[in-house]
Amino acid sequence: MNQASLKRNYYGYLFIAPFVIAFLIFGLYPIYNTIALSFTDATLMSKTGNFIGLMNFERLFADDIFMNAVKNTWLLWILNFIPQVGIAMLLSVWFTNARLNIKAVGVWRALFFLPNLLMPAAVAALFFSLFSFYGPVNQFLVRSGFLPEAMQFLQDVTVTRSLVIFIQWWMWFGQTIIILIAGMTSIPLPLYEAAMVDGATSTQMFNRITLPLLKPILIYVFVTSLVGGMQMFDIPFLLTDGRGSPSGSIMTNNILMYLKFSSSKGHIGAASSVGVLVFFMTSICALAIFYFLREKDSATSKSAKR
Amino acid sequence: MKRLYFVLSVLVALSMLLSACGAPATEKTVLNVWSFTNEINTMAIAFEGTHPDVDVVYTMIPMTNGEYQTKLKAAIGTADTPDVIALEAAFVKEYVEADFLADLGELLPIAEAAKTYPFVTDVGTNAADGVIKGFAYQATPGAVFYRRSLAKEYFGTDDPAEIQALMADMDKFIEMAAVIKEKSDGNTYMVGSSGDFQNPFFANRAQPWVVDETLVVDPMVEKYIETAKLFRDEGYEAQAQQWQEGWFAGMNDSLVDANGNSKQVFSYFLPTWGLPYVLAPNAKSADGAHDTSGDWGVVTGPLPYQWGGTWLGAMAKSPNLELAKEFIRFCTLDEKNLTNWATGVYTNDYLKAIDPQVPEDQVQAAGDFVSSQVVVEKITASFDDSELSAFLAGQNSYAGFAAAAPSVNAKLMTGSDDAIQRALNDPINQYLNGVIDADTMWTTWKDALRVEFPNLVIK
Amino acid sequence: MFNNYKFNTNLMRVFVYIVLVIILIVTVVPIWLLIVNATRSTVEIQQGISFMPSTHLFENYGILLGRGLNLGRGFGNSLFVAVASTIITVYFSLLTAYGIVVYNFKGKKLFSNFIVVLVMIPMQLSIIGFYQYMSKLGLTDNYASLILPLIANAGSVFFGKQYLESVVINDLIDAARVDGASEIGIFHRIMMPLAVPGAMTMGIFAFVAAWNNFFNAFILISSIEKYTLPMLVQTLRGDVYRTEFGAIYLGLAVTVVPIILIYALFSRYIVSGIAMGSVKE
Repeated sequence: MNQASLKRNYYGYLFIAPFVIAFLIFGLYPIYNTIALSFTDATLMSKTGNFIGLMNFERLFADDIFMNAVKNTWLLWILNFIPQVGIAMLLSVWFTNARLNIKAVGVWRALFFLPNLLMPAAVAALFFSLFSFYGPVNQFLVRSGFLPEAMQFLQDVTVTRSLVIFIQWWMWFGQTIIILIAGMTSIPLPLYEAAMVDGATSTQMFNRITLPLLKPILIYVFVTSLVGGMQMFDIPFLLTDGRGSPSGSIMTNNILMYLKFSSSKGHIGAASSVGVLVFFMTSICALAIFYFLREKDSATSKSAKR
Repeated sequence: MKRLYFVLSVLVALSMLLSACGAPATEKTVLNVWSFTNEINTMAIAFEGTHPDVDVVYTMIPMTNGEYQTKLKAAIGTADTPDVIALEAAFVKEYVEADFLADLGELLPIAEAAKTYPFVTDVGTNAADGVIKGFAYQATPGAVFYRRSLAKEYFGTDDPAEIQALMADMDKFIEMAAVIKEKSDGNTYMVGSSGDFQNPFFANRAQPWVVDETLVVDPMVEKYIETAKLFRDEGYEAQAQQWQEGWFAGMNDSLVDANGNSKQVFSYFLPTWGLPYVLAPNAKSADGAHDTSGDWGVVTGPLPYQWGGTWLGAMAKSPNLELAKEFIRFCTLDEKNLTNWATGVYTNDYLKAIDPQVPEDQVQAAGDFVSSQVVVEKITASFDDSELSAFLAGQNSYAGFAAAAPSVNAKLMTGSDDAIQRALNDPINQYLNGVIDADTMWTTWKDALRVEFPNLVIK
Repeated sequence: MFNNYKFNTNLMRVFVYIVLVIILIVTVVPIWLLIVNATRSTVEIQQGISFMPSTHLFENYGILLGRGLNLGRGFGNSLFVAVASTIITVYFSLLTAYGIVVYNFKGKKLFSNFIVVLVMIPMQLSIIGFYQYMSKLGLTDNYASLILPLIANAGSVFFGKQYLESVVINDLIDAARVDGASEIGIFHRIMMPLAVPGAMTMGIFAFVAAWNNFFNAFILISSIEKYTLPMLVQTLRGDVYRTEFGAIYLGLAVTVVPIILIYALFSRYIVSGIAMGSVKE
C-alpha cells in the first residue's frame, strides 16, 4: 500500500461523518436512555426512579414468562423465515432465469409485494373475522364435514401460531423477492453463459454461481429478518387480545416489553430491561452469523472474482 | 438518469406546494385540548362561542393502537403538555392516581348543585387522598336490552317491569336462561357471550382488586367464572365474542351457526352509548332481510354497572390552569351546555355560526346520557317520542337509564382494574373451552399479572 | 435433443406459471377482501366479511370528506415527508456504505460491526425517550424529528454495504482517479449510476416505511395541519364507540394507491439499472 492510497483512506472518515454526526445527535440519547432505565424502577406515572441494580433482570428470570416469550419469538420467526426465504429464492431464480423467460416479471414482483403495503391493523382485523367462531372458515369447514362443529380458532394455540406465521410470511416474502432479484441480477451474465457452455445444469449453476455471489445479500436478508423476527410485534399483538393469547402462545419479546411499558403505572424501567436483553441476544446471534458466513479474505477473493 | 432526477424534483416541488400552508396568528388565549375522540370538539366550539377571547386548539389522537396513551405518557414530563386532556374509562384512574393532574376541588360545589351522579365523581377522585381530578359530561350506566317478541313467546309478557322482576338478580337471570333454552329447544341463547355479564359482576365486588399491594379475588369474581362456565356448559350463551360478527348478528336475528341453523339471542348488556352506536345500527341486518327495530325493551337488569365514559382533567403544570378549569366546568357541569349537548341543539349549523371552518359532520345528535341528574330530570320527558324510544317500542330510552344510574357504584375502580381484568380473559376462555382446569386458570392469570405488576403480592 | 430440451423448458414453464398463480391467489385474496370492505357500510363490515363488493363506496367517500379532513394537504405532507425521507435515506446510506466498502480506514471493521449492532436496537421502546429528547431540542411537531434521524439509518447502510460489496469495481474507481476525478466526484458520477438498482430497492423500502409510518408520527407531530395521509385516515377512528369502518378501509385504499404508483414508477429502474451495469462490465 503506497503513501497516496494510505492518505486516500482518510476519505473514509469523511464519507461516514454524516452518519456519525446524525447518530450522535439523534440516536445516541434514546439508546443511552433505554440502557440507563433498565437499571431503575422508573415508571411513567411517577416522576422519579431509583437505581435498583440488576433487579429488573433478576425478575425476568424469576418465572418462565420471559423465557417463554423468547421461545415463542424464535419459534414464530424460524417457522416463518424458512418458507419465506425458500419460496422467495425459488421465485427469484425463476424470475431471473433467461431460459424460462417469465413474462411481466415486474408485475408479478409488484403483486407479491402488495401485502407489505397494508396496515398490520387492517390485516389482523381481516384474519380475525375470517377465523372467528361465526366466520366463513368455520362455516366452510363444518359444512364440508372437515369439522364436527365450529371451533374457537383464535383460542387454539396451534391455529393461532400458524396464522401468525402465515401472515408474517404473506407480508414479507414479496420484499425478500425484490431484494434477492436485485442481488441476482447484479451477478454478471457472462458467468452463467460460460457455465452453460461448459454444460452445467441449473442446479449446478445455482449452487456454484448464484449462491456464493449472493452471499452478502443473503447475509443481509438473514440478519434483517432475524432482527425483524426478534422484534415481531404488530401481527401477534393485533391478532388476539394484545397479550399473546391464547395461553401466551404468541407472546413475543416485544409484546412482553410493551405490556410492561403500557401497564397502568408504565413500568418503563422493567420494559427497558426486556429491550436490553433482546438486544444482546439478537446482537450475539447476528455477529455469530457474520462470523460463520464471513469470507476468508474479502479483499482478495473479490479481486479474483472480477 | 436525467428523467429520474426530473421525476424526483417534480415530486419534491409538488409536495412543497401541497404542504404549503400558513395559519394566521391569533391574539386570543390558546387552550390546548388533547382527546381520543372527535366529540369533545363540539363542546370546544360551543365554548369558543361563549368565550370569544379563547382559541381552543383541539388535537385528536386515536387510541386504537395505543397512540394516544403513548403520546400522553411521553408528553406529560415535557414542556409540550396540553392544558386539558380527555381520559377514557380504561385508563382515567391511572392519571387520577398520579401527580400530573390538577386538583379540581373548587368545582365540587358546582357538581353538587348539578347533582352529578356520584359514581361519575367517584371515578374522577383519587381514592387514596380524596382529591378530585376529573369530571365527565356523560354518565354511562349499563342496562339490559331484551327482545320483546321472544319475551312474549317464552314468558307471556314483554312489559319492562315484569321482565325486570324476572331477572331481578343473577340467580333469577340463570333461571330465565334455563327456561329460554328449554322452550326454544336450545335455539335461543340468553346472551351472545358470557363476556356480556362480566362487567356487572366485577362492578359489584365488595373489595377492590388490590388491597395493600396484595391481590384480592372477590367472591363475585369466582361467582362470575362459575356462571360463565354454567352458561357455556348448558348452552345458554352463543359463544360469540363481544365486538365480533356473531355478537352483532344476534342483534338483528341473522345469527346462523356453522351448520346453517338459525339462532336467536334474547338479551344484551349495553350501556347508554351502546343503544345509539351499537344496538340501533345493528338491529337492521346488512342485507336488509332482518330488522329487529321496535322489538327491544330496556331494563336495569340483575346487577347495576357502568361501562365506558370519558373524563376531562387539567394538567397541573398548565400555564392556563384557570381557563382549563373553566373549560372543564363548561363541558361537564354547565347546565345549559349539558342540556344543549343532550337534546341535539349542537347542530352543524349551530357550530358553523361560531366557526365557519367546522367540518360537515361535526355535530352532536340528541340522546347522550349526561352526568347531571338535574339536567336528566329536566329533559327526560323530551325523549318520549324520540327515534330511540320508538326503537324501544315506545319505552323512553332516557328514563330507562335514569332508573339504572343511581344504583351504580364505582368506588372500587382503580387504575389497575383494566389490566387485571384483561389478563383474566384468556385463562377464562381456556377454562370454558375445557383446555385447562380451574386451578391452572387461576395460576396462569396470576403469573400473567406479574408482567404488569412487579410489586404486587400474589398469594 | 434440442426439441426435447425445448419441451422440458415448456413443461417447466407451465409448472412455474401454475405455482405463480397459486401464490398470487393466496396473496391477492385478502387484499381483495380489504378492497371490498371499502365499498361496504360499517354495519355490513361488523356483521361479517364478503367477497362481493357492496354499494356504499360513495357513502364512505362522503364520510371521509365530511370529517373536514384536508386530504389534499395530508397527501402533500405525506409526499414531502416520504420523498425527503427517501432521498436522505438513500443518499446518506449509500455514502456511508461506500465509505466502508471502498476505503481501508482505521476502525472500519469496528464501525461496520457497530452499524449491524445498531440495526438490532428495538425502537418501540425508545420512542418515549426520543420524544422527550426532541422536546428538549424543540423539534416536536416538526418534520425534522421524523426525517433527519434517517441520515443515520443503520438498516439501509447495512443493505447498501452488502449491496455495494457485490457491485463496486475497484478498477473503475482507479481509472477515474487517474483521470483526476475527486473522491466525492467518483462517488457521485461513477458509483451512484452503478448502484441504481440497489438504490431503487432501498428507496422503495424507505418510501413505503416513511409513507406508512403513522405511529411514531402521531407521537411526534401534534398539529393537524402537519398530519400525513395515513394519520388523517387514522383520525377516522376518533369515535371510539362508533367507528366508521367502511370509510377507514376506503381511506386505507386511498393511502396505498400513491405507493403503488411510486412503486410502478421506480421499480423499472431496478431492472434497467442492471442492464446498464452489465453493459459497462
